[in-house]
Amino acid sequence: MLATVAATAVLAIVLGGEALAGRDPIRTVAAPWAAPGPGLPLGADALGRDILARVLAGGRDLALVSLAAAGSACALGVAGGLWAGWSRSRAARAAVALSDLLLVLPLLLVAMLAVVVLPGPPAVIAGTVLGGAPLTLRVVADATAQARHAGYVEAALSRGERGLSVLFREVLPAHAGLIGADLGQRMVLAVQLTAALNVLGFGPPPPAPDWAAMLRENLPGAGLNPAALLAPAAALALLAGAVAGLSHVLAGRS
Amino acid sequence: MSGLTVSGLTVTGRTGAAVIGDVDLSVARGEVLALVGPSGAGKTTLLRAVLGELPPGLVRAAGRVEWDGAPLRATRRWRRRHVGYLGQDPASALHPLLTARAAVLEPLRAAGTPRAGRPACAERALTEVGLDPAEFAGRLPHQLSGGQAQRVALARALAADPDLLVLDEPTSALDPAALETAVALIRRRRAEGRSVTLVVSHDDSVVAGLLDRVVRLGATRSATRPAAPRGAARMRPAGAVLTVRGLSLDRPDGAPLLGGVDVTIAPGEFVAVLGPSGCGKSTLLRALAGLHPVRAGSAVLLGEPLPWPVRDRNARALRALALVAQDPLAALNPARPVAAALRRPLRLLGGLGRAAVTAEVNRLLAAVGLPAETARRYPAALSGGQRQRVALARALAAGPVLLLADEITTALDAETAEQVLDLLDGLRRDTALAVLAVTHDKTVAARADRVLRIDRPMIDDRRKTTDVQ
Repeated sequence: MLATVAATAVLAIVLGGEALAGRDPIRTVAAPWAAPGPGLPLGADALGRDILARVLAGGRDLALVSLAAAGSACALGVAGGLWAGWSRSRAARAAVALSDLLLVLPLLLVAMLAVVVLPGPPAVIAGTVLGGAPLTLRVVADATAQARHAGYVEAALSRGERGLSVLFREVLPAHAGLIGADLGQRMVLAVQLTAALNVLGFGPPPPAPDWAAMLRENLPGAGLNPAALLAPAAALALLAGAVAGLSHVLAGRS
Repeated sequence: MSGLTVSGLTVTGRTGAAVIGDVDLSVARGEVLALVGPSGAGKTTLLRAVLGELPPGLVRAAGRVEWDGAPLRATRRWRRRHVGYLGQDPASALHPLLTARAAVLEPLRAAGTPRAGRPACAERALTEVGLDPAEFAGRLPHQLSGGQAQRVALARALAADPDLLVLDEPTSALDPAALETAVALIRRRRAEGRSVTLVVSHDDSVVAGLLDRVVRLGATRSATRPAAPRGAARMRPAGAVLTVRGLSLDRPDGAPLLGGVDVTIAPGEFVAVLGPSGCGKSTLLRALAGLHPVRAGSAVLLGEPLPWPVRDRNARALRALALVAQDPLAALNPARPVAAALRRPLRLLGGLGRAAVTAEVNRLLAAVGLPAETARRYPAALSGGQRQRVALARALAAGPVLLLADEITTALDAETAEQVLDLLDGLRRDTALAVLAVTHDKTVAARADRVLRIDRPMIDDRRKTTDVQ
């Protein structure tokens, strides 16, 4: 209960932080690398911009992109897994083989390739889907194949339910916890991938605030104002933790 | 004192309501104690509280559990060393990737038996429960029948000669011969006087001869019997309900299981299927329900040819046949409340409207002896016997003409079993429901019009059936 409230609060601040900042995150308000002081709780960066305002404003796009990426990866993996686990057709086996092939490719390599072809956010989504959906598919396909012989599935077949109806009324609810846990994993992966690509400079262009970009920008001033580096790093860790916590709640509900 | 002492044990649920309240019991070494009570009285919960392993959502609110006079700490280590446990659904408690031998070796390792002595101990344990090690030791759980799997689990519980043996519903799903073995083993343990035995049972007649103490849980229900469910308008068959000719079945590994089964079932008839554990009784019912592949044979249902795979059957055939499977654990979807499980067949096959469905759900629950509030509960909150009855209510919902019942009374206490059998008798009389029931239970077989006996394997490993009038 407490974990749910805390995780939800973190997500709310990440998504609506810009309104809380109360100060323009791209305006120069102090001397470069100004240390924390009154009115400037986390100090300033190389251009004298307020670190707190930038941290509060810099997580929204990153979180939204990660959420979209994790959501699509999980949805695609669940749909494919239900189909592959239920149907024994040649097409289903071919789909599983194809997704296994994707698993062989290193995720970062796939993401780098995607970044060359696509702009930043779609590249993160493509990378997460290509790297994450095959994992989800394997897990869900195996669970579905086992559920084929569960009493409740056989009872549904015996009253003439069609395949789709059995999958959505019986198999999917029975594995809601599994899928919730999987969504959390995909989300953490997506946050990491977004951050990695943004650090490499594929994220929003400067001067827009972004946690990952801040890590790169503020590294040279780490000795002058450590808070400029630590704050976005802590924010990234907090987001990943909140997401993992929420997925535990989802997983525990079934 | 030596042995197990429990004082003032109270277990509460999430809402703080007591699930079991203020239980005292003590058993000395050499004694056998039985916990008896109707289905849903909290027998299994009390057992798990004693073992220090309550399921999530339940907490021990008060009370002490002592072993040999000392309060129990580190219950996990204590259980590993001293406890042999046979659960309510032992077939599913066997690890799917461990052979019977490996399953029995496990407790020997936990109890610290010298490595060299373990294989002999394991073989002896299997022999004691009536399984030939040469034939069964190398088998995996899916290569065993329900009854054989329970014997392996019994052997596992007994292998290390535990100080505390716990048997949860040992009479369920054991055929009479295996049950006799179990009773003989308990009797021997009592004579040796070194160890404590705890038996949970809804049926105290079997173990009555060797009990030292009995703890009763739950009040007995009133004897009023609810009316049989009306169901959707039922089909009243003329002539035979089901005629099967030359049905042959294989085991999943391809070995022949049953050959040339001929059965004819008339409207309103109650046919019991008897036979030793592992002879293919459950598979026969599953094949008739269209859930097990058929090698050869044909069937006619209500005058129409019946295709074997369940997907090829039309709505009339689906409605006419209903199966209640043996495993009450997997029978209900853990994510759906009881009402959802009952509503679906009523709407899909019964064609009832929304308002009629709700009333019918309550009537079905009452017919199997469950309160109306059960409809809102999830399977995890139901006992084994309650789940079994929900599965039966689900099967009856569509108004079948033939009920395929696999051991439907084994998880029930004597009174509830009687009520369920009376319900079936009423349906047979009023709606000409026919019942084909696999059973080990003599009281079920006694009600049958006819017995279909599946014998031990013949020389060519084909099993033959005989129809005893």
